[in-house]
Amino acid sequence: MSKRVALKDSVKVDSVDLSNLARAVRLSSEHERVDVSGFSATGANEYLAGSTEQSVTVEFYGAYGTGETHATLYPIHKNRTVAAFAWRPDQTAVVGPTNPELRGNVQLYTYGPGSTRGETDTYEVTFNAADAAGFQFFTA
Amino acid sequence: MTKTTYRVSGETPFDGHQPGEEFDADLDADLEERALERGSIEIVKGTKKKEVKDDE
Repeated sequence: MSKRVALKDSVKVDSVDLSNLARAVRLSSEHERVDVSGFSATGANEYLAGSTEQSVTVEFYGAYGTGETHATLYPIHKNRTVAAFAWRPDQTAVVGPTNPELRGNVQLYTYGPGSTRGETDTYEVTFNAADAAGFQFFTA
Repeated sequence: MTKTTYRVSGETPFDGHQPGEEFDADLDADLEERALERGSIEIVKGTKKKEVKDDE
């Protein structure tokens, strides 16, 4: 696999293509580390993987037009809606082994747009996995 | 399965369709309701699913 410069990513929320209004995406998937250590000759700890916490954080441009960032995200937060999320590296190519798509049903527990005088209006939004399926990468 | 004709009325692509484009689809009723409310799409031909469901 070659290295890449992230330019053509696809970001979709609730079927709305917000790719052009997003500029950074970061998945966090973490298994709880459960200590199951017992007495042992080495004294080393022993762990098992426990429950999984997953979220995706996206940095969006603040845009308040019809169907844009705010119009898409705020109702999802306000109404406690479970919505579909998808991200893949290349929007110009189909989903495949070299262009896997991260998909999951999400909720927006926190929503905090804002602005600073003279600066580009951007804000981060964290999508938390909303059901047992969690986030998964699909290659087809 | 009843397909409805929609037009992408928002300023961002919806469900793989560009703004201004018309498409036929059988959208999930809740997804359709949210998309109509925020102005992502409008119905060109057919009826709102949520109203049909509520009347049942």
